[in-house]
Amino acid sequence: MGSQPGLTVAGEGQTWRARYRRFAREHAGFLWVAPALFTLLAVIIYPMIYGIYLSFVDMNLGQKEAPFIGLENFSFVLKDDIFLNSISKTLTYVAVSVSLTFVFGLGLALLMQKIRWGRTIFHLILIAPMAIAPPVVGLTWRWIYNPLFGLLNPFLGLFGLPQQAPLGSPTSAMEAVLVVDIWQWTSLVFLILYAGVSTLPREPYEAADLDGAGPWAMFWRITLPLLMPVILVVLVLRTVDAFRTFDLVNVMTAGGPALSTEVMSLYIYRVGFKFFQMGRGAAAGQIMLLGAGVILAVYFRFLYRELD
Amino acid sequence: MRIRRPFGRLVRRHWSTAVAYLVVIVVCVFVLIPILAGFVTAFKPGPIQIASPPVWLFRPTADNFERVLIAKNGLLNLRNSIVVTVLSISVSLLVGVPAAYSLARLRMKGRQQLLGWIISLRMIPPVVVALPFFVLIDRLKLYDTYVGLSLTYLSFSIPMIIWIMRGYFARTPHLEESAMVDGCSRLQAVLRVLLPVVMPGLAATALLVAMVAWNEYMLALILTGRNTATLPIGAVTYVTRVRVEWGELFAMNLIIAAPVLLLAATLHRHLVRGLTFGMVE
Repeated sequence: MGSQPGLTVAGEGQTWRARYRRFAREHAGFLWVAPALFTLLAVIIYPMIYGIYLSFVDMNLGQKEAPFIGLENFSFVLKDDIFLNSISKTLTYVAVSVSLTFVFGLGLALLMQKIRWGRTIFHLILIAPMAIAPPVVGLTWRWIYNPLFGLLNPFLGLFGLPQQAPLGSPTSAMEAVLVVDIWQWTSLVFLILYAGVSTLPREPYEAADLDGAGPWAMFWRITLPLLMPVILVVLVLRTVDAFRTFDLVNVMTAGGPALSTEVMSLYIYRVGFKFFQMGRGAAAGQIMLLGAGVILAVYFRFLYRELD
Repeated sequence: MRIRRPFGRLVRRHWSTAVAYLVVIVVCVFVLIPILAGFVTAFKPGPIQIASPPVWLFRPTADNFERVLIAKNGLLNLRNSIVVTVLSISVSLLVGVPAAYSLARLRMKGRQQLLGWIISLRMIPPVVVALPFFVLIDRLKLYDTYVGLSLTYLSFSIPMIIWIMRGYFARTPHLEESAMVDGCSRLQAVLRVLLPVVMPGLAATALLVAMVAWNEYMLALILTGRNTATLPIGAVTYVTRVRVEWGELFAMNLIIAAPVLLLAATLHRHLVRGLTFGMVE
């Protein structure tokens, strides 16, 4: 707090100004945080509480009244096959996206350690995808996948492979979207893990080398344990982002065909802004939030144990 | 293998380096093709945009950019994106930097809890707050206004700024304290002595957060209309059910992506800290 009581003249005769000064000195920590804190309360906490309220009323855009209906929104949403479908799509999306971006990103981060010539330029190319806005990435790949004038089919033709329309069929749309997700977000995993690997100490490796350890043993016994804190950060970030994914899927497939790519964000968006059922959308939102909380609680259990 | 041991080791090392180069180059090509193919298409004249297989030799033209920016709404989208980004970043810096300073330096009850709480805001799926945002912004008559969209952007930009800047402040020596001994107030001391020292970090942080606001799509989709549609919203309008204006779409994509790519390349040393909320140095 940095207060120096000896310098302050305490007592009845204090002017307003002196009193303010003393208050400012003693509570400086809070005063400097206060503007940010109150702004955050207004722009995020209040809307979240309002969202909880919405989930208990029958709020339909276009009608004036919003009567309280208890848990009806929740029971509607939980009985809605389309919502349950979106949960399973989201879980698939998270599992595939997080695991594959992690494996590819880690592999690239390790391979890059062997590279001397052209390191900076390779690094810049490999981190490029995550800088591009997801709708731009999605629209670009929509063109690549286009069966009539995209890049994919001429490319497949070079190898004599059959022509495809990946976004057109419910069996392949999810995979096609995931390829793009992995194309974009491997770069994030790579960037963070590369920074982590680059700062690892050399001594353990030299010692292991003298003991005759192979590269495989060094990876499992040295690299992975030392990297664990960074790995957990990466996994949390990727899981949160994959769980909330919206932009990429919305511009590529808008959830179709036949709901095959409708993840939770898209379901909530559709219920709220296409069907104007704000109450039901908000109820689904609370369930999604709960899901995010559960996943994070599991991670933080690990995170704290590893970091302490 | 009949190579003697020290020699064999050398061969093995060269071999693995070659594999590393090969894999990294193949991945780089896979990363670059979509980006470059899109950029090239932005300069293609009308008829060959939809040639299949794609034509790669042509006389480049700026027609697509001209149509997007002048005949269509591109210029308005560009202006909207700049206004919303600048507006939300200025306000976030104004409230976020003092908070970051306080959380790095000043003692306060519950500081750790507050930091944990601020970082947990990053974990909220945006669609969950998008619905209440819409209803509230609509009630406040702020739909399709700069203020409305910028307000919602504060929800991610303030936490980012607090966390990243806190790291920069924590690593800077306590220069402002000596100025305070000389009689400056804390505010004066921070403004005159500390801020110039952390300026490079501050600039990098501001640009990083600006990149996120520039690329934001979902909130803009919900909260903007004819007047304040930002660039990503504008880009999507070139794709309709009936037809897609590929040349114009890629011109728009280039306008969105080029500045961010240049920034990312310049800032790549600061990216890790920014994207991990300062959790990884």
